[in-house]
Order: sequence, then structure tokens, then C-alpha cells
Amino acid sequence: MSAPAAVFWQKNPALAWREIDDETIIISPNDSVMHELNDTGSFLWKNIDGRKSAAELAELLVENYEVTPEIALSDTEALLQEMSSRKLVVAVPATSGVSP
Amino acid sequence: MSAPLANSGRGPRQQFELSIGCVALRLEMSDAQLFDAASARYAAFTGAAAQPVTIALNEGAAPEGPPADFDYEFEGAALRVFSNGIRFDGVRHQYALDSLLRVLLSWKLLGHCGFLLHAATVIRSGKAYLFTGRSGAGKSTVASLAPEGSVLTDEISLLRRENGAWRAHGTPFWGEFRAAGSNTSAPVGGIFRLQQAAENQATALRPLAMLRALLPNVLFFSADAEANRRLLEILSQAATEISGYNLAFRKNSAFWEVLPS
Repeated sequence: MSAPAAVFWQKNPALAWREIDDETIIISPNDSVMHELNDTGSFLWKNIDGRKSAAELAELLVENYEVTPEIALSDTEALLQEMSSRKLVVAVPATSGVSP
Repeated sequence: MSAPLANSGRGPRQQFELSIGCVALRLEMSDAQLFDAASARYAAFTGAAAQPVTIALNEGAAPEGPPADFDYEFEGAALRVFSNGIRFDGVRHQYALDSLLRVLLSWKLLGHCGFLLHAATVIRSGKAYLFTGRSGAGKSTVASLAPEGSVLTDEISLLRRENGAWRAHGTPFWGEFRAAGSNTSAPVGGIFRLQQAAENQATALRPLAMLRALLPNVLFFSADAEANRRLLEILSQAATEISGYNLAFRKNSAFWEVLPS
């Protein structure tokens, strides 16, 4: 398996979102589509700030939920891919904390 | 109500002021036919207590200067909001004017912690009950089953959070009733999502479910991220503070009996 690309994840700045009842509602104004995240997805969403990789986000998941590191990383990568395909998040080059 | 202004060469400019949900607007136009139609259509909403925002209709070339803060086009008619005034251009009939007023109001209400909702509003015992849903859900049926004089609107409701409480205002934007709206307001008693069913039954909604019920029925026309964030903030507050229900609705007047008091 090839090494994962050195990327951080950030929220699409064109979106509007709101947490309510431990879930997150995300609105995409350009196409008027509504997305929902459950509590785990909401936790990751809150921590997606353009300065963390999938591995770092998975570590936070391990610290806050009863989940093994392997499953946390697998779930985080799957969710990021799903959110990326829906244009909710974008990958940016990891410009700090990563060796060239 | 009307007063001739300076002659622009296309007939005397006339103006009238209206207030919808306490948002004060002044319409200026040279088209006498459109003026008469608009004056009649919004007769119940004329007069503005607060300092109105001026809307210039069909005034030709746009002023030089910075781009519009908000713009929207609908069937050849265009709305542009500038820092020093608002322009409606390409407005050929009262229905286009009505559409642009809805769009403008949805934008202006952001600054008043308010929004427009596809809903009928009925006053009962001094409180406003809103019945929301898409076309065919039963908004007009609810309005037709309500006592005469108790309906604020059968189509587009206006909600605002004022002094810590939500109020529903009448609007001149009507559906099948095609009557003048009622320019009054009342504290909101509840919002009901209409679902046709064999029996009448009301079921309480949690805030998240309420937000899901509101979102598809809110009128909003801006793709600007910041504006949508503000809208979502307002709607979340409404979903949290206003009692929301699913109303299984048989389309008869007995539905009143299942509404929570």
C-alpha cells in the first residue's frame, strides 16, 4: 500500500453549519442541499480545521470514544472520503509539522 | 398614500410606503399602471412607521460604484441591493414585483432575526399557529377551515424574534385565498408540519427534527455563505425555542381538537 498523502483537512468555506441535538446540519448554499452528521461525525467536523491530518483526527477520536486506533483511523478516512465526495471538506497540503 | 415626485421623462415618479413584518420599504416608480396595481395589492400594508428603505423600480442604468451586496434575477426581473439603496429592474407586472419583494424581504429579515416560511398562519386565542409544508400539503385547506378573520396568510408566513419572543406577522403574499393579507402579528404558539393522513394527530418534534421540518420550507435566495450561516443560526434558534409538531391531518376542521393548548 502506498504511503498516505501528507494532507490536512479543512471545511469547505462556502458552507453553513450548525450543531443541534448533538448532530450537525450542514447547508450547501450553492445547490441548496442539506447534509447531516451523527455525533461522531459532528465530533470530527468540529475538529476539522485545516491543520490536522486524518491520523491526527483519528487520534482525537480514540481519546474521546471507546474505539481502537485501527478502527478510528479506518472510520475517519472513510468519513473524510465521503465528505470530500460531497464537497464538504477539502484536502490541503500539509505545510507544517510534516517532513519534506 | 401617493405623491408625485420629480418628472423623470417617463411619467411622474410616484411612491408609496409599505411595512411587512415591520420592515419598512418605500417603492418609487414611473409606471402609472404598475403603481395602481401595486397600491391596490399592498393596500393593507401601506404606511411605514420606521425609516423606510427606498426601492427604485425600472430606473434604467445602475449607478456607478461598488457591486451590489446582494442580487437576484427572476424571469427577466432583477433585484440589486446597494449600500445606498435598492433597485428593481425589468419589472413588467405586479407579479414580478411581488416575487422580488419576497426575495428582498427574505434577505432583509436576516438583520431582524426573522425569516419567511411556506406556511399558513392562523390566530387562535391570541396565538399564532403556523402550518407548514410544500404545495398540496394542506396550507390553504387549513386556512379555509379557520374562522373568518383569523388567517394571517395562507401561503407565506413571516416570523421574527422580538424582545426575546417569536412573533408571526401577516404578509401580503397569499396563495389560493387571493385576498388581502392581514397586517397584524401575534406570539407564536407552535409550528405544525402538515402530513395528510386518515386521522388527526399531533406529535411533538425535537429541535433537530423541527429544523429538518423548517429547512425545506424556508424562502431564501442567497448563495452567500455568511448569509446562509446567519439564516441557519436564526432557524436553529427558532427550532429550539418554538414548539414544533408533526400534524397528521385529515383535512377537516376536527384537527383543531388535537392541537396542544
